[in-house]
Amino acid sequence: MRPQMSEIATLVRVLGDFSVCFNLALVFLLLYRKNYRIYPCFLLYALVNLFQGVVLLASKRLWGGDSAALFKIGWGTQGLVIIARALSVAEVCRHVLAKYRGIWGLGWRRSLAVAALVLAYSWAVGAHRWQLFAVTADRSIELAIAAAILALLVFAHYYQVVIEPAARFLTIGFFLYSCFQVLNDTLLERWLQQYANFWNLLGTVTFLASVLLWGWALHLIQPEATSPPELLPGDHYPLLSPAINARLKALDEQLGRFWRAEGEKT
Amino acid sequence: MSLVFYLFFAIIALFIVVFFWSLRKPKGHTVPGPSSAIPQDLQGSHVTHLPQIRRALAPADFEFVSKKIPREALRRMQRERRNVALAYLSALRAELKRLLRTARIVASLSPEVAGGQELERMVLTLNFLCRYWVIQMSVWAGFTPLPQISDLGDLLSAYSVRLEEAIRELGERAAMVAEMVSSPDRRRIDPV
Repeated sequence: MRPQMSEIATLVRVLGDFSVCFNLALVFLLLYRKNYRIYPCFLLYALVNLFQGVVLLASKRLWGGDSAALFKIGWGTQGLVIIARALSVAEVCRHVLAKYRGIWGLGWRRSLAVAALVLAYSWAVGAHRWQLFAVTADRSIELAIAAAILALLVFAHYYQVVIEPAARFLTIGFFLYSCFQVLNDTLLERWLQQYANFWNLLGTVTFLASVLLWGWALHLIQPEATSPPELLPGDHYPLLSPAINARLKALDEQLGRFWRAEGEKT
Repeated sequence: MSLVFYLFFAIIALFIVVFFWSLRKPKGHTVPGPSSAIPQDLQGSHVTHLPQIRRALAPADFEFVSKKIPREALRRMQRERRNVALAYLSALRAELKRLLRTARIVASLSPEVAGGQELERMVLTLNFLCRYWVIQMSVWAGFTPLPQISDLGDLLSAYSVRLEEAIRELGERAAMVAEMVSSPDRRRIDPV
């Protein structure tokens, strides 16, 4: 068992170094291709991530991998990272839907409401062990981020808004990373100490995969801006939408009548 | 503890399924521009075939034929009549889908969208589909709820006509706006 644990620790260290390098490459890519003009919050997120990676590497060298100081620094900087990620996710979602002012106005409110609901629920379900405060908080926020992304994607799908490939890959990266973090935190909560090394390994691998996806997404971004769609005049919607709903209601009532008739027959 | 443990796994599994579903390309491809988004011509509706369907499903016809042809042929005729009813129902559903798509495009290209209206439409669509499946199943089971199918057709027809009128009116306004935009004096134009 012991050699296995030390092998995992070595692998985590190597992958950790790799993830810092990839993160650095991501920052360079963002700056070189001037993608920060489209996604400034994503640049902030990449920088905060890089900062966390460097601080953790330095702390490990100074105090060793199992020190309490490293634990505190790790979870302390995680707060910054998660805030930057939430901002970045909001930015990507805005980039996808903001061209369609009406559905964006509706979508961001719904999405925020869904995220708040999931956050509250996840916190209520997991807040029974106060010694696991950081893990529970991290899981709740990650789940809320995943829910917000999902709500906006469902919105985009419902209204047939096509997501450009770059935004699509960025979203996939954020979503999968958040989902795996939730699973990781859930496993960590259950098996805390025994699982710590493996948790680090899975976390690093997930992060590496996400960084590669984001790098690919940034590579796909075209420098020329796409023109926003031509919107309908403001009076179209208030005219058409109630008419459509009234017709659907009537249709529904007819079907309801049939339903009752069938019930009486049987 | 273990319930919470599995609960989070279940939530994530559900999230991933919905995520990949939402990443599928929409069947209608992209949201088109306002001029091509709304179909100008809603003719060619399946609802116009209702008299033929009504005739094909009329009980009087069936009673008359049942006295003239052998049992085997009668059964075959019943089966074919049922297929006709089912085909008609699915055509009506396709038409409803097309009209709903129009509603979605109007919403996506509007500068302001009312949440209540959208939610109401989603609930109504869900109700419609549930009840529609009941009609479909009753046809499958051998009933021919002709008055209900007829009502369904009438409603869709009226819906199409109303929508067509509204769209024509909007098209005229859009053309007027386009004309104003192309005119040299753009200061008069109030954007959106």
